[in-house]
Amino acid sequence: MSEAVLQLRNLTKTIGMRKIVDNLTFDVPAGEIFGFLGPNGAGKTTTIRMIVGLISMSKGEAIIKGVSVRSHFELAMTHVGAIVENPEMYKFLTGYQNLIHYARRHNGITKERIKEVVSLLGLQNRIHEKVKRYSLGMRQRLGVAQAILHRPSLLILDEPTNGLDPAGIRELRDYLRKLTKEEGISVIVSSHLLSEMELMCDRVAIIQAGKLVDIRSLQEARSQAQTKIVIEVGDPAAAEQLLSAAMDGSGMTVSGNQLELTADKSAIPHITKLLVASEIEVFGIHAVQKSLEDQFLEITGGEMIV
Amino acid sequence: MSSRLSKLIRNENMKIYRRSRTWIMIGILLLAVGLLSGIMKWDESRIDHSNWEQQLEQQNLHMKQELTDNPDSGEEYSSYLTKQIKMNDYYLEHDINPQQLSLWSYVSQSSNLIMLVTILTVVIAADMIAAEFSWGTIKLLLVGPASRSKIMISKYIATLGFAVMLLLLCFAASFAAGGILAGFDGLNQPLLTVSNGMVHESSMIIDTLQTYGFSVVSLIMYVTMAFMISSAFRSSSMAIAFSLLFMLLGNTLSALLSQYSWSKYLLFSNIDLTRYLDSGTPLRPEMTMTFSILILVAYYVVFQFIAWLLFTKRDVAA
Ligand SMILES: Nc1ncnc2c1ncn2[C@@H]1O[C@H](COP(=O)(O)OP(=O)(O)OP(=O)(O)O)[C@@H](O)[C@H]1O
Ligand SMILES: [Mg+2]
Repeated sequence: MSEAVLQLRNLTKTIGMRKIVDNLTFDVPAGEIFGFLGPNGAGKTTTIRMIVGLISMSKGEAIIKGVSVRSHFELAMTHVGAIVENPEMYKFLTGYQNLIHYARRHNGITKERIKEVVSLLGLQNRIHEKVKRYSLGMRQRLGVAQAILHRPSLLILDEPTNGLDPAGIRELRDYLRKLTKEEGISVIVSSHLLSEMELMCDRVAIIQAGKLVDIRSLQEARSQAQTKIVIEVGDPAAAEQLLSAAMDGSGMTVSGNQLELTADKSAIPHITKLLVASEIEVFGIHAVQKSLEDQFLEITGGEMIV
Repeated sequence: MSSRLSKLIRNENMKIYRRSRTWIMIGILLLAVGLLSGIMKWDESRIDHSNWEQQLEQQNLHMKQELTDNPDSGEEYSSYLTKQIKMNDYYLEHDINPQQLSLWSYVSQSSNLIMLVTILTVVIAADMIAAEFSWGTIKLLLVGPASRSKIMISKYIATLGFAVMLLLLCFAASFAAGGILAGFDGLNQPLLTVSNGMVHESSMIIDTLQTYGFSVVSLIMYVTMAFMISSAFRSSSMAIAFSLLFMLLGNTLSALLSQYSWSKYLLFSNIDLTRYLDSGTPLRPEMTMTFSILILVAYYVVFQFIAWLLFTKRDVAA
């Protein structure tokens, strides 16, 4: 793992008596898409607001590329691009004017760079139209275009898939991949939808009620994922008896005509042979990857709202 | 450093002048100048100018009569009459018809429209910060390599820039209207004043600028107040409503409260510095120009400080 782009150290936000974000400590490695996962109200947005200086930190520290947000805000912010919750734009300006407005606040953004980003996000045809005529998806894109204009090292997107259709989500995923590859950006994406995270992220931090529950590399999680075998048979009771005797029978469950057991895919031919030999009717047999969702539900004790 | 600030100011200007509302305001101001000039011209046209010389001579006769008839009618009154006679003599001597409007009459009347300029600028100022919250763009604006203080300064400067633009426009439009309606040959016409029994000529433009200058003092105070209110409210309509309410109620209130001695510390009791000129009377006898200026400076500092505190220290959780 190369040097961390973002380091959180005991980051805490207290409002009134409540700790909305409680002692978060973790690193976001360079060049990764990092997921920030948690149910509604877990404190994702609050954490992001602290990282970008919209709200004060009650305790702790956020360090971006070695620069403390608390003590060197202006310098730290040169490394960050962010969309916090919805991508808000000046609706009475054109997309291009919005980009100019953004570019003036940063050093060294050339006209060519603006053009480059506009075409990267496929906005070239509508860029001179007023933003009030943009669809939500186009606004999302303009928001991303804005956030990467100054070549930040860290891109933070809070619920970027909000309001996007499946095609839009897929597109977002693709250009986030492209960004990490082509521009070497690290991306933090927050979401309460695990299914999205699975496809998008290299690693996820799971938070719940403001606390860090776990950090997982999805690569590992995928390779460790166990397979379930689901068998549909005419006589499930007989099949269960047979299979629990023949295999070690770990975690076998019966529901209706379906039999589920934990085993590797390679066991399927053997199981089929056994069933056929005992003249048990087989209607179907297939392997299912135990989803990450199941795994995360286990981690969070089933309290995850998905 | 300063180039960064000037870029921020350009951003704020872009946000002001790309809105159609701003152009409607400019239109309203131009319309007001046009209307005022038109009414002045119409009013002038109803007066019979054919025998103005006789009228002035007549007047002078009356006034001289008055002076000899009632020599003890009061120092003030008799000096007023003497001044008038001197003026009329001067008019007759130099062939100037005082009833006839000149270019400068239009320009100096336009200073009455600075109240309108103030109202329009107050609307812009009240909207300056609150609108970013209303639009949700405040997040965009604050997440970036510019401190909140710099962003606030850029907004304040852009607001004052807008006021200056309106003032110049007001001046230029009334100058143009005056030139068209009364002719540009009145440009060098001097301002006449009588002192020590002599008629003095002075520059008309300096006098007009002085009138503008005094109005600018109250403009700056109201605009700074609106700016503070703007950083207190997160809704632009509330900010605009409160700013205008304070501004319009303030004058009435300070007149009502002027019997109490503490009222001299109110912003509104001090905001009109023309009260201390020769022609004005202070709201309370013990008040002086220096006193009012000190009070205004104190209010200004407090307004700016509160605005800065509200804008830079608060959590943005919109
Ligand atoms: N200004 C505030 N005052 C009091 N409580 C707040 C404030 N802002 C947020 N909260 C509370 O803090 C908790 C975390 O909110 P936050 O918006 O960070 O959640 P989130 O993880 O982003 O949730 P979601 O998935 O719904 O966006 C919530 O319970 C919320 O009610
Ligand atoms: Mg959120």
